Amino acid sequence: MIESSVKIRRFSSVQRLFHFGLIILFMLLSVTGMAWMYFETSWGKGLAALFGGYENTLEVHRIAGLVMLAGFVGQIVYLITKIDWSRFPGSLFDADSLIWRWQDFANFFVHAGWVIGVVKETPYFDRWSWWEKFDYWAVWWGLIIVGVTGLMLYDPILSAEYMPGWMFNIALWVHRIEAVLAMAHIFTIHFFVEHFRRSVFPFSATMFDGGMTVEHIRHEHPAWLDRLEKEGRLEEMVVPEPPIALRIIYFGFGYAMILLGLFLLVYGIINVFLLTL
Amino acid sequence: MRASIILVLFLAAAVSVSPAIATAQDSRVSNMGQYSESSASTGYFRQSETLPGSYQLYLQGHEVKGGFWGIGPGGGAVKRQSFSADAHAGVRNYRPNRDCASCHTQSVKNIHTARTTVTCRQCHRGQPIAGIHHYYSPLNPIRRHAYVCAKCHQGATANFATYLVHEPNPLAVATAQKFPALFYGVWIMAIIAGGVFIVFIPYVTLWGIRDAAVISAKKLIQKARDMGQKIDEEAPS
Repeated sequence: MIESSVKIRRFSSVQRLFHFGLIILFMLLSVTGMAWMYFETSWGKGLAALFGGYENTLEVHRIAGLVMLAGFVGQIVYLITKIDWSRFPGSLFDADSLIWRWQDFANFFVHAGWVIGVVKETPYFDRWSWWEKFDYWAVWWGLIIVGVTGLMLYDPILSAEYMPGWMFNIALWVHRIEAVLAMAHIFTIHFFVEHFRRSVFPFSATMFDGGMTVEHIRHEHPAWLDRLEKEGRLEEMVVPEPPIALRIIYFGFGYAMILLGLFLLVYGIINVFLLTL
Repeated sequence: MRASIILVLFLAAAVSVSPAIATAQDSRVSNMGQYSESSASTGYFRQSETLPGSYQLYLQGHEVKGGFWGIGPGGGAVKRQSFSADAHAGVRNYRPNRDCASCHTQSVKNIHTARTTVTCRQCHRGQPIAGIHHYYSPLNPIRRHAYVCAKCHQGATANFATYLVHEPNPLAVATAQKFPALFYGVWIMAIIAGGVFIVFIPYVTLWGIRDAAVISAKKLIQKARDMGQKIDEEAPS
């Protein structure tokens, strides 16, 4: 029997690197985007001043956006290399896959029942729960919407060679609404579910050190644990606890990003009534 | 003589089968891409874009709506004054030095006014201020891009200039007529975004409470167990 405090590998170093890059770019895009959106308020001007005025802010925003889209392409290439082509397309619906299965929809309703107290036990989640799959694909549809409209607005003069200029009226609104949705979702729901629930509070380092304790897995992903035990792979997936210095860095970085997100959220809400549009 | 006839016939045959000349005689059917081929690259415009004959002189506001399945701007009512040489003619309390925003309160609610230092008169020009559909107005679509937009947006084309600076409120019902694509696009996005939070904020709140309650119960059970009490595992959590 394996000890409860031992950590099991949940994310590979490549996956953690993707998530780390996503954090950096998302936060950079959030700060520069909010600076431009709130440019008529003193708060927005202050944010823009950090980058040297709104023109430089927008330039940083554009470049960060391009890098993020490149990362998105990288993620697609990464996924293609990770598909088990010998069992394709059945392998897409494996328990380790992030593709939605019917079981996830069923689990959602069972989980909702547990949340309101009708059901006694949480669903028998495998490696990914329904909200983790939702979070993963939310980045996809979010990035597609923000990316397409962002590219349209990247150089309007150039874009106007291929589409009428009034498309930018629509693109700007769609870009803005999707960006606000993404930021608000990350700064409230994602942070809360991953770090502020009592069972994970104050900080879950799983996405940073890649490991999750057996106790946590038993609580949240029991089917995954049972599957690993049955296949006898549990022992080989044990990862060592990272050194204390690294753990402090993970915690510090994580909380810096959480606080930055909450700062943008709170000041965004405070200043929203000062916006003309 | 015979040689020259053969030469003429040969040239005629060559000209008639030449693909380059044949396509040059085609009239362009599609509107898409026309600016990339002419105006944007060279700065020259085709006659149809510059001469009044090809425009319905007093209906230029609606002209844009024709393309793109009619989902673009240009629908709905158009002000009569927007066709006059002096849009303020007959307006009794109008004075040329009056602040535009004191009457046109809605017109200042746009990105150009709110986030930059552009003033009304930089685009609409001085007294008498012509309606934007008047033929000689700098904001008339046939010259708007060159006379107005290109002052800041270098290289602006007529296509670029169809951007609506004074866009209608995207959520207002009237916008479904004025600018259908904006209305439906923004509403769809608003419903997606609103829906996510309407579902998730209450859900996550309840989840947090439930999670905390379960952990508390587990800790209580553990504590009791440490004290040597027998615990019924099926006790409600």
